[in-house]
Amino acid sequence: MEIEKGKITGLIGADGAGKTTLLRLVIGLLVADKGEISTLDLNPEKQKNILNTKIGYMPQKFGLYEDLTVIENLKLYADLKNVSHDFDKLLEFTDLKRFQTRFAGKLSGGMKQKLGLACSLLGNPEFLVLDEPSVGVDPISRRDLMKMVRQLISPDTTVLWSTAYLDEAHSFDTAVVMDKGKIIYQGSPHLLAKTAQEFEEKVIELMGGYKKEESLVAKSYVPHDIDMEYTVFADNLVKKYGDFYAVKNNTFKIKKGEIFGLLGPNGAGKSTSFKMMCGLSKPTSGTTKIFGTDMKENPTKARSYLGYMAQKFSLYGNLTVEQNLNFFAGVYGLNKKDKQQRIDEMIKSFNFEKVLKQKADELPLGFKQRLSMACAVMHNPPVLFLDEPTSGVDVVARRDFWNHITSLAKKGVTVLITTHFMDEAEFCDRISLFYRGQTIAIGTPKELKEKANAKNMEETFINLIKESEVKY
Amino acid sequence: MLIRLISLIKKEFITIWEDKRTRAIIMVMPFMMFFVFSAAITMEVRNIDMAVLDNSNSFESKSLIEKFDNSPYFRKIYYVNGFEELKEKIDTQKVLIGVYINNDFSKNIKANKQVSVEIITDGRQTNSASIAGSYATQIINGYNMELTKSVSPVNISVRNWFNANLEYRWYVLTVIVALLALVVTLLLTALSVARERELGTFDQLIITPLSSFEILLGKTIPPFILALTVTSIMSFLAVTVFKIPFAGNPFYLLGAIAVSLLSIVGVGLSISSIAKTQQQAILGIITFQMPAVLLSGFVSPVEDMPQFLQVLTYANPLRFFIKITRCIFLKGMILEDIITNLIPLIIIACITLSFAAWMFKKQLD
Repeated sequence: MEIEKGKITGLIGADGAGKTTLLRLVIGLLVADKGEISTLDLNPEKQKNILNTKIGYMPQKFGLYEDLTVIENLKLYADLKNVSHDFDKLLEFTDLKRFQTRFAGKLSGGMKQKLGLACSLLGNPEFLVLDEPSVGVDPISRRDLMKMVRQLISPDTTVLWSTAYLDEAHSFDTAVVMDKGKIIYQGSPHLLAKTAQEFEEKVIELMGGYKKEESLVAKSYVPHDIDMEYTVFADNLVKKYGDFYAVKNNTFKIKKGEIFGLLGPNGAGKSTSFKMMCGLSKPTSGTTKIFGTDMKENPTKARSYLGYMAQKFSLYGNLTVEQNLNFFAGVYGLNKKDKQQRIDEMIKSFNFEKVLKQKADELPLGFKQRLSMACAVMHNPPVLFLDEPTSGVDVVARRDFWNHITSLAKKGVTVLITTHFMDEAEFCDRISLFYRGQTIAIGTPKELKEKANAKNMEETFINLIKESEVKY
Repeated sequence: MLIRLISLIKKEFITIWEDKRTRAIIMVMPFMMFFVFSAAITMEVRNIDMAVLDNSNSFESKSLIEKFDNSPYFRKIYYVNGFEELKEKIDTQKVLIGVYINNDFSKNIKANKQVSVEIITDGRQTNSASIAGSYATQIINGYNMELTKSVSPVNISVRNWFNANLEYRWYVLTVIVALLALVVTLLLTALSVARERELGTFDQLIITPLSSFEILLGKTIPPFILALTVTSIMSFLAVTVFKIPFAGNPFYLLGAIAVSLLSIVGVGLSISSIAKTQQQAILGIITFQMPAVLLSGFVSPVEDMPQFLQVLTYANPLRFFIKITRCIFLKGMILEDIITNLIPLIIIACITLSFAAWMFKKQLD
């Protein structure tokens, strides 16, 4: 593979596809077992010292010292790179001037990301390497970041940018698509497809394609015979930390069989709301009702209606697939006969036959996610709560996942989901847009798009948030 | 409820077993330490090296030095020529003790006059120095008696009950069983919840219909059973391999160990319920463990501590645990005494376990 000088090259792939490893090889943080690398005509292994002065590298999680202030971080990196303390232009561009004396750890996600980028840009590097700078960041911050990079680099600067977002990759000069450690496409993303959506289809094709099949999970789901229009009800949820409202008067109702999405920038309070909904965090006031049961009054019963999938993979890594399934069937109180039957159904629905005796930690990410889902739906819950279930997963696995979710919803399962993939928001029946602890818009994707006068969800998101900022 | 609890307990056993580090904590660490400590920890002072400055250089002084040479406690004798050299030997810790014999030693003995021998010990090693000093005094006293051929009117006869030959190992091993049980139990319990919290699985657990009481039980029982097994095996080894006499009732011992472990499980779970990460849990263990060992009566008798520390030791499960194991082993403690010592342990267990349960519940609701 070759990376052209003066261009922005995107490195695209799911978690575990080999992006970070490749980046680290290129800048000499790792040594290759076989093969050769030449970066800026230098050998990263033997001439690392010279190379270091010419490279700007931003690792995942931004590589900042959280206990130092913004300006101290900049000074430190400037000293490390032996360049002058002239930060005016950077501070202005990043809009960090106001926060100079704030601790880096206290910055919001978007701000941290900007500071991380500023630090890596010090000394005008010839080669800028960014490892997933936009992961977990909302569309507004992502857009700002892209703008910053394009404006701050000189025309000769080469950029290598890794990402899991296909729409982002589509805007680069060159795209390198990786899957399972191999490069499956290299070239201009615009040549491959005109729009970001088509690009996604093409990538799926390159990965071996996705065939939509009937979701067996949904098939084996036994609908709960209950006459209730709204199965999930959030009543005036408030979470206060001192004087600060993390969530303010959050009220919504979710219909039976509806997919309800919670969207919002980082720190907007969607995670806090989500946690209060499933009883992981106690609301300052207000309550939630799941299937008619009040979470405050009878948490055990309310929780028994819930299937929950956490943000990260959070099953027991030391346990095998089979042991995990057994455990969750057990703690949800399935009796012996039902238990075996349900476990068998899960194994069949998700194709676990071959990995049954494997430890969950050793599974590929796509399988891990399927296992999380299997454990969440094990007890046939009428309500599913999913917290960013698809982050880091490849496109094919995401398609597969959404197939299960929409099929389950059709059979009457109520779904509450948070996501930061804007294209996924389109799959939701209704969306609540969160900003600064409050709901600023609620409605179907179509309604919201019309309201914001936008083509796609990403634009909708950005417009609506800007609109609400003007209001307050 | 039973199905849920059994599933949780089963899962705990599997996770403890499948994790190489925790497996090593149960299977290897205690037994390795058991064997190492039993050989290493001793308060007996043997193999003492000494320096002698013999200015008398006479038959009498030689025969006194010979007595040192023949004693089992003294290993090597350096003969030095002058105070400077004696000082240097002690300074460099070549010797623990020095004996100075004046040049009028022989003359005065022959003249039946009072004579002094000076003993110099290395006060930096307080305990060993005082013991070595008393050995030396004994030897010199013996020599005295030989010279005067006198028989002292009061004949002292010392008999050591429960450990006739004052075998130090008997004392150390019975205590070590308790110490290692403490370490294993604390590690297993304190890390368990903290680890789940770090990995995010604790949230998953909270969302299930498990109640806080069930979670507490599920987190108590597996480490408790494992620690009980390990402690029983160590006690068995103490009797079979190290030939420590076992004077008590083995069932009493098992029961006493069980209650003691329960109180330690309580402490471990309390630490775990506060700690957000495994790192914090480890810090918590260290903060508890050091004072617990120092204030247990193992290092120095509780009775010799300042009053307020003595009061504090009542909150220390190890203090009672050590006392019970030692006494059941060597003395065959009777049931009544055992129960008196178990009461504080039961109180500690109740308080710590309720605290942990309350913390879990607080996070749940």
